Amino acid sequence: MKHFKTLLAAAGLAGAALSAGQASAFELGVVAFQMSAETQARCANTVGAEAEKLGWTTQVLNSNGALDTHASQLDNLIQKGVDGLILCMSKPVQFDAQFEAAKGANIPVITISSGASPHTLFDVTPNEYIMAAEAAIYLLGTINYEGNILAQRFESNTGARIRGSILDAVLVENPSVKIAGEHSMARTKSWQEDVRNGMSALILQNAGNFDAVWASFDGQALIIDDLLKENGLNKGDVSLVSIDGGQEVYRRIKDPDSMMTATVAIPFEDMAGKAVTMMNQIAVEGKAKEDLVPGPYLFIPATLVDATNVDQFLK
Amino acid sequence: MSLKTLIEVYGTFFAGIVLFVFLLIFADNFASAANLLNVLKQVSFLAILATGFTFALITSELDLSFANVCSFCAVVIGSLISADVAWPLAVIAGILMGIAAGFLNGFLVTVLKVPSLISTLGTASIANGLAFMITGGVAFVGRWDPGFLYLGRGKIGPVPVIILFTLIIFAAAFILSTQTRTGVHMQATGENEEAARRAGISTRNCKILGLVLSGLAAGVTAVFLVANLSSAAPQMAGDFLLNGIAATLLGMTMFTPAKPNILGTFVGALIIVILSNGLVLLGAQYYIQDIMLGIIIIVSVAVSASVLKRAAFAL
Repeated sequence: MKHFKTLLAAAGLAGAALSAGQASAFELGVVAFQMSAETQARCANTVGAEAEKLGWTTQVLNSNGALDTHASQLDNLIQKGVDGLILCMSKPVQFDAQFEAAKGANIPVITISSGASPHTLFDVTPNEYIMAAEAAIYLLGTINYEGNILAQRFESNTGARIRGSILDAVLVENPSVKIAGEHSMARTKSWQEDVRNGMSALILQNAGNFDAVWASFDGQALIIDDLLKENGLNKGDVSLVSIDGGQEVYRRIKDPDSMMTATVAIPFEDMAGKAVTMMNQIAVEGKAKEDLVPGPYLFIPATLVDATNVDQFLK
Repeated sequence: MSLKTLIEVYGTFFAGIVLFVFLLIFADNFASAANLLNVLKQVSFLAILATGFTFALITSELDLSFANVCSFCAVVIGSLISADVAWPLAVIAGILMGIAAGFLNGFLVTVLKVPSLISTLGTASIANGLAFMITGGVAFVGRWDPGFLYLGRGKIGPVPVIILFTLIIFAAAFILSTQTRTGVHMQATGENEEAARRAGISTRNCKILGLVLSGLAAGVTAVFLVANLSSAAPQMAGDFLLNGIAATLLGMTMFTPAKPNILGTFVGALIIVILSNGLVLLGAQYYIQDIMLGIIIIVSVAVSASVLKRAAFAL
């Protein structure tokens, strides 16, 4: 028991020392819904880093993909009385009560790639519909608008679901392209295994019968790329297109052994930086939200990256 | 009572009090009425779910399906309400699904003799699959009756109604486990199944009841969870598995050491939520929370094992 008490006290003391040392700074709460997703980690880490550049105290929390944990963390930060909240890939409909409570406590909330809420300032986001259309049309272009494709979907995430819906819409206008097989990723915590199992079965079932693969986000595409290589395919055999961006994807687009053909690069770091800048202007400098962002969204342009421009993105 | 026994029986409880006092002193806003009610509301979901798990454990059976069953019950409720079924009927259906899952577990364990560790893992997977089958991975949101939402968000004065429900459920569970013949039989079954059987106790019924109560708790928690988050999604109760087990194990280190007990579980849940809330108020980053939960599980199991070992030697 002594050890238990000591551990509790030590952790608490460390936390107290941390908070006491920075009591006067602007205090920003940052919550990512699922930090095991690279995009969310990039988003939350950049928000934290940019806020610290302003001398703010930041506290980054991870909801581990659990709705209840997310709600509890928002409630706790509201009770703590943070000066502002920036949320990465939150879900406004589910957390309406928390956002309303934040508004009631005069805590400004900016969300990133989450969706709009009447209780938040605005959502910093790329236009999913535009990105999805770019990726789908590009994919079809790589196979001259005819042939079979495999699709890896993810219905539980709004953005990924929109991408799938737009793929379907594009296919309606291009009937010479058929979906030979598709897998919908079900799990969020062990999603890598889910994608690997589902797609390996599809690749085996459709061996030699597909020309391209569409993935709803780049994390899936990286796993699929490995599977395609394991099945003896080489660059040029099939085209693999997805959405999100990131150094590993860019490296593979350039890699002569990879099937990765293109992605639509979402500038998560820029979006995170923009959210912090806006929070500073509104919550610290006192500017009116309406003067900075008229509507519920601050749209950030995303760029399609393929072999022709990948060097501009590789660090 | 010797000092050693006092520490064994009340050590964790005292550690919880020390933690509480520590946070009262060092964590700003911890002592505010709003935050304490926030803590109690967060405890409610975990305490109800963990109480069910404790009943299964009292009969010496594990129920590793309770979190997934809770998610499944949630999507049943969500799907029915979305299909314009009256919400009280949807609530009853969700709770009945939890009870049915408990019966299934009981049947597998007592009739087919499948160890509960295995059978409930199987049930968890089935519940997860059914939840995805019903939803297609997409959360049910919107179109909630205000009367239904009141269960999760309503207040009587400043007190969330869910806290009152939890206290009633906890009191009923405590009385059932300690003050009734059924409770005594369940404990006897868990402590020495063979002796209980020879004493004329239907150990099979006790085990089935323990698992049914666990399923019932999952169904009831699902009702409050959906009403609180105004959504129903697969895996929405996923994080409760580890926290529920941790609360129960922590509870086994106090009051009746090395034995699962309802009061201990409630205090265990309280300690976990207070710790979680306190770490946020103290400014700890997200990974600290996971580390602390892991430490709690290891320490509580170590303490329980140590007490059990000494008790065995004493016999």
